[in-house]
Amino acid sequence: MSERYFVPLMLAPVFVFLFFFYGFPTLSNLFYSFTDLSLLGLKKGGSFVGFKNYIDLLSSKDFFRVLWNTLFWLTGFSVFLRIVLGLLLALLLNSATLRYYRLTTFSRVLLLVPWATPPIVAVVVWSWLLDGRHGVINKTLHGLGLIDTPIAFLANIHTVWPSIITIILWNTLPLVTLTFLAGLQSVPNELMEAADIDGAGAISRFYHVTLPHLMPTIVVMSLLLVFWTFNNFVYVWLATGAGPGLFTNVLATEIYIKGFIDFELGFSSSVGMVMAAMMAFFGLIYFRFVALREFREIM
Amino acid sequence: MKASTLISFLTAMVLMVLATFASAIELSFRFNDPESREMRAALDQFEQENPGVKVELQTIAWGQSRAQFLREAAVGEGPDVVHIAFVWPRDMGSAGALHPLNEFIKSKPIQNGFEDFIATELSIGTNGNIYGVPWTTDTWAMVYRTDILEDAGIKNIPRSWGELREASRAIHEKTGKVGFGFPGGSASSNTIWFLANYFWWSRDYALVIEADDKSFKTGITVQEIVKAMKYFKSFFDEGHNPEAMLGVNSWFDPSILEGMINGEQGIAIMPPQQFKQILAAFKERNPGKNPPFITATTPGGSAGPKTHLGGRMLGINSNTKHPEAAWKLVEFMTREQVLTKYYGNQFPAQKTPLQSIEFGPALGGFAEQLTLARSWGAYSDGPAQIGSMWDDTGRAFGSAFIGEKSFKEAASELLQSVEKQLK
Repeated sequence: MSERYFVPLMLAPVFVFLFFFYGFPTLSNLFYSFTDLSLLGLKKGGSFVGFKNYIDLLSSKDFFRVLWNTLFWLTGFSVFLRIVLGLLLALLLNSATLRYYRLTTFSRVLLLVPWATPPIVAVVVWSWLLDGRHGVINKTLHGLGLIDTPIAFLANIHTVWPSIITIILWNTLPLVTLTFLAGLQSVPNELMEAADIDGAGAISRFYHVTLPHLMPTIVVMSLLLVFWTFNNFVYVWLATGAGPGLFTNVLATEIYIKGFIDFELGFSSSVGMVMAAMMAFFGLIYFRFVALREFREIM
Repeated sequence: MKASTLISFLTAMVLMVLATFASAIELSFRFNDPESREMRAALDQFEQENPGVKVELQTIAWGQSRAQFLREAAVGEGPDVVHIAFVWPRDMGSAGALHPLNEFIKSKPIQNGFEDFIATELSIGTNGNIYGVPWTTDTWAMVYRTDILEDAGIKNIPRSWGELREASRAIHEKTGKVGFGFPGGSASSNTIWFLANYFWWSRDYALVIEADDKSFKTGITVQEIVKAMKYFKSFFDEGHNPEAMLGVNSWFDPSILEGMINGEQGIAIMPPQQFKQILAAFKERNPGKNPPFITATTPGGSAGPKTHLGGRMLGINSNTKHPEAAWKLVEFMTREQVLTKYYGNQFPAQKTPLQSIEFGPALGGFAEQLTLARSWGAYSDGPAQIGSMWDDTGRAFGSAFIGEKSFKEAASELLQSVEKQLK
């Protein structure tokens, strides 16, 4: 068989898989987003309503609050914190101090515990820790005299987002840390020694040697975290149900609320398509700044 | 015996056993309450009485049960017999998810007859088809810890909403404990929906009413919705319902049940199932001690105390391959003896057994409240989905409670949403 046909033939199964598991559901979702399909009307189907769902969504008063929650709190702020804290933790795990006290292996194993915990378990455990009546955190803070009355961490608008982000950090920081740790351990010793000989201090060595070396890892990790976090449903839904009120509603929970609580599957599909468009934009950034460059390097 | 004869005999036995299993009817029953162990025992008895029928017990939380079943039924799947809320059969029937039961009721009557069941009108669709059999009924009542009331110097059970707030405040001020600890959360299946409606109904208002021309409209004003919001928010503002309860949605949340059992909380509202759990837990932890609980009707406004007549029905999936066997299961599960033996935490949704129930002093509040309970009526008869209104109410109250929206804004949005659904 000529090479002209061989390569497409070998790739065909992958494309068939991609079509059935990604392409077809996406096209179906796009179709439903132009209808008024309801969960109670699944057997009958919905009527075509054109762009009504998209107009209602984009003109809704709550949409920009939901978008802000998704882009800033859930994605932006949590990704930023994970990158910074992950890097700091990786530096600590790679430090000579831990090696001196023979705590390196123990620390790394301990780090795996939150990562190995399923998100649903993490949320349940933290919900109890943060509970406003019986939570250990409140009892500890009260015992130390830091607070007079318990704080309803997951019900107070000033503490609910920091609480959700704490849960996300606890559960996902280890992956970031271990990735950066691997990167740190690949920094050539000769460069560090040369910088040391030239009189560079610790901060200067980090800024001029370590950080540039780690930058590709940081960029890739940041983009991957954005992908994984932007459409995350579990943490917000299980911790607060998008509440109190709709204060912590994000795009993923909006899809669920509209589809499976309000039964408006058509409208829910339109929210899904808006999310998909935004994810595609992030994907283009990834492709342009990471994948394409790596491809060119290989070629 | 010759070896060949023995082999033939054993082969025949094996084939008979396989044939039995092959011809056995397999049903699935999806049940949504915590008493799954007791349900399994009930199903075991059903299997003994009906050889050749095997029943698989599935369990699911109430919050997901409706959407899950509708999704499954739409694609030809789902359990044969489902445990559904009183107000679901009509919508589910219209959606084609439930099997009409008219023929079964006529040809294979149920114990005491279908007319003996309460709230049967909720199971009948607009086409006259019957889609569910009422199984259990309940309503909510107030639960008070008498020892905490005494410590707070409260001599009389609150009979009005104002008295309830005063009692709650007094408990907190004089004992430091939680007064009326109700869930103020706004997620799906929230409790504030029930409290708000009891408040409105007791003042002769309702979110949905049927007009004289048989159309449906809202029967409340923005001001009345604001009054309810401000009333319930005052419990949080004054501190006798802790702010943490804004993150609690369910009336059966462990923090409420535990609070009542261990004496951290003085007042709660709940259906009898949860109250019986509290009684049982208290007796287990305090053997020999008299449970310090009393139940009473909810506070009343100008129209008196009003709660909803709640309950569960059993429905048959329209996709079932064994409708007759499924009907046998429904008939079995609705028998008075089965309910008493296996599902004692609930009241039967039948007039004859209800009349003979010994409520006892502890459950007296529920007995009295049942006589004052009203059906959802126009809420379920009208075009608006109770589930959507329930959710909208929780979110509107939640937004007002946390200050995300002003009372007027939240109330206006709620009213507009309901009006839109009624069109």
